[in-house]
Amino acid sequence: MLTAVVLAALLAGVWLAATYRENGSRAILLPDQVMTLFPAPKPLAAFAFKDHEDRVFDLSRLRGKWSFLFFGYTHCPDICPTTLATLARAHENIAKSAAGAKDVQFVFISVDPNRDTAGELRQYVTYFDTAFLGVTGDDAQLGNLAAQLGAAYQLAITPGMENYPVYHTAAVFLVDPRARYHAVFAPSLDAEGISRRFEVLRELEGPKAT
Amino acid sequence: MRWRHTVFASLILALAPIAAATDEAGVSVRDAWVREAPPGVSTMAGYMVLQNKTSRPQVLVAASSSGFETVMIHRSIAKQGMTGMEHTPQIELLPNASLLFAPGGYHLMLLNPKRRLHAGDRVEIALEFRGGLVVPVAYEVRK
Repeated sequence: MLTAVVLAALLAGVWLAATYRENGSRAILLPDQVMTLFPAPKPLAAFAFKDHEDRVFDLSRLRGKWSFLFFGYTHCPDICPTTLATLARAHENIAKSAAGAKDVQFVFISVDPNRDTAGELRQYVTYFDTAFLGVTGDDAQLGNLAAQLGAAYQLAITPGMENYPVYHTAAVFLVDPRARYHAVFAPSLDAEGISRRFEVLRELEGPKAT
Repeated sequence: MRWRHTVFASLILALAPIAAATDEAGVSVRDAWVREAPPGVSTMAGYMVLQNKTSRPQVLVAASSSGFETVMIHRSIAKQGMTGMEHTPQIELLPNASLLFAPGGYHLMLLNPKRRLHAGDRVEIALEFRGGLVVPVAYEVRK
């Protein structure tokens, strides 16, 4: 008798948990102001950057991992350090989740290759998170990937002006392990807002996306 | 009883300049902090909550510090789907109004610190208002 009651309670608990999780998942993945999820992820075309270790960073480096991409520049005092600190916390959260962060990478794309050398990028991104990658390329390659993601940037280089203004999209782009543009997180960003949505998305898309 | 009056009068005299000073310095600054810069980076940002506790509008016109080569009042703005910064020559604070200097919005842009600042350090920046009011503020460096 007691066993039956315990068993029933256990089953009810499992069912409730499953229902809750499913509903929770659906609710959290409804379009919202934080994450825009594309029903048909867009395969990215070839591009070529160099990473902060001077290795080639191209489309192949996006395969097999979920990649969070952010455009910026190291001389940026407000938006870039704020976003990278947020992404570092999101990374921490994801690392603590059941599925971990082994299949996740964070890539800072500098739109200011004149000033952001590989060495500067290494110092910069690893300050926020030792696992972060810094990459950059020439204007054609930056423009290529930016256009594919619907991102934009503009450098107002003025001769003799040390701190020229740079404009860039402040969103964080999510590319899935098949190198498809899958989702975008709109500013202003917070770590939990990103990591919670990502964890649900990865669980739902996991087998399809890899 | 005479001595009591004397004490009382002295107290008033002693308090008067304090009251005047409080009214003059009636712009309060809370939660003042500067984000620690990553190595090799010489552009930093300062944040705070400003509140005008005086009965008159106060106009922030400049900020200065011996700790940096340049201090400017900036604001991160959105422009054609991009984010950038613009210099803000002045900000008016109405009586009792608060103004948030926070990531993604208003910030003090701090260029070329004279020494490397680490989390836990303090650096003083003076906020200058129209009419000559200067409010020195200690900013805590945070990671």
